Amino acid sequence: MQILAEAEDLPKTANIKTQLISLWTAPVFGVVLLIAFLAFPGFFPPMSPDMTAEQVARFYSDHTAMIRFSMITFNLCGVMLLPFFMVIVIQMKRMATQSHIFAYCYLTAAVSGATLFALADIFYLTAAFRPDRSPELVMLLNDMAWMIFIAPVGAFVAMNLLLGLAVFFDDGPNPVFPRWVGYYAIGTALAMAPAAGAAVFATGPLAWNGVVSFWLRNGAFALFVVVMFVVLRNVLHRQAVEEGVAR
Amino acid sequence: MSSTISAQTSPSAKVAENGRTPRAGKRDVWLVFWIVPAFYTAFGLIFFALARVMPPPRPDVTTDQMVHFFHAHALTIKIGFGILVLIVGGAGIANGIVAFHMKRMTVGSVMAYAYLGAMSVGALPGCLLVAFCFLTAVYRPGRDPQLLALLYDLGLLSYVGSLGCFSTAYFAFAVAILYDKNEIFPKWLAYVSIWQIVTEIMAVPVFVSKAGPFAWNGSIAFWMGVVVFGFWLSCVIVFLMKATELQPVDEPPLE
Repeated sequence: MQILAEAEDLPKTANIKTQLISLWTAPVFGVVLLIAFLAFPGFFPPMSPDMTAEQVARFYSDHTAMIRFSMITFNLCGVMLLPFFMVIVIQMKRMATQSHIFAYCYLTAAVSGATLFALADIFYLTAAFRPDRSPELVMLLNDMAWMIFIAPVGAFVAMNLLLGLAVFFDDGPNPVFPRWVGYYAIGTALAMAPAAGAAVFATGPLAWNGVVSFWLRNGAFALFVVVMFVVLRNVLHRQAVEEGVAR
Repeated sequence: MSSTISAQTSPSAKVAENGRTPRAGKRDVWLVFWIVPAFYTAFGLIFFALARVMPPPRPDVTTDQMVHFFHAHALTIKIGFGILVLIVGGAGIANGIVAFHMKRMTVGSVMAYAYLGAMSVGALPGCLLVAFCFLTAVYRPGRDPQLLALLYDLGLLSYVGSLGCFSTAYFAFAVAILYDKNEIFPKWLAYVSIWQIVTEIMAVPVFVSKAGPFAWNGSIAFWMGVVVFGFWLSCVIVFLMKATELQPVDEPPLE
């Protein structure tokens, strides 16, 4: 995007620039988070709920350094995706044919989702802090970590349903998002929703290490960030051109 | 274009009028403002004097010593965190007024929302979880010492080690200040906020180190962070006051 010289100092230009900064936190920290994901020794394959307390304790004492590296990185950089979701909020607030109700609900849902992620991370790190404590307790911390990380998808489901609804309600002559984004958001909500099953199932695709609860849920989330980065980039460019900020 | 933009041009137009409008600020904003120093004073008293989380008890102690910590401070932990769970809404108010003044900047709302959101994330792992852990620990003092040790670790690691949420908030705060043309906050406050991110990164080793400067009670991981935070918070309160004072009484409500 090329900012016009005459628009350089205008508030509407700063509005675009701060959104661009927020947008670009997604690929920058996305790469960092991907490294943290690949580095966690318990994701390939995801740790089974079937492991005994001794196995879990041994996992934490055998891989302490990598667990800490991965989870500290998640701790520092995970919430850095929040500004990216706030760009979605700002764009939802630009939708002309609706109130801002969906946007504010999306904002609070995003905060809930990020809080749960930050909380799960602390449980992994506490388990890795003293892997020599009673194996039963290491397993308790590990169970809490996985439970909080995988099962409470409600916030993400709500966010995506709200985004989908907002796109469908944005039915004026100049919609912010293309209509397929609405379907895509609903699809992401549906793909993430079954992971709630991890709260009760200990085996099968719905357990926290299952194809649905782990891979579909996390894959759908990661893909959503990638797809929405491209979508938002175009949306921001269009906003900038329409407002005479860029060409 | 959109209503967002028209709302943002009006505060910038107000800058010129600042000289003429009475330097009084709005009554409702003043009311909220005074809660901020009151809350943080109470917050400091609770964490330093009552709950004994600051300075934090040592990480390099035996399980028995952790049990002893909870026994020795059970009463003040109950009083302190009992009050905290009542007044913790003050943190929301403090974040709210900062976000409010950020929305008065000429930079759009995205950074204000990111600040609000990231600080809200911090409320649970970065503030309340240690209260829940300690309150639960002293609730049944006869509990298995191993369980008390777990609550001790979980509480203190979450309190000292919740880094990303606050870093994100400081990042948003700094970017907004640097782009703002309304001069709601001075530019150098952005650099102090960036220094806050540095102290968060310096606290990374608390998850690894159990003694020395990088432990959760260490000179670098903990004390440097506390000193910079104290300075940052004092500046924020002073400049929130200034921003409230300089806000024209007739400035239209934010969108």
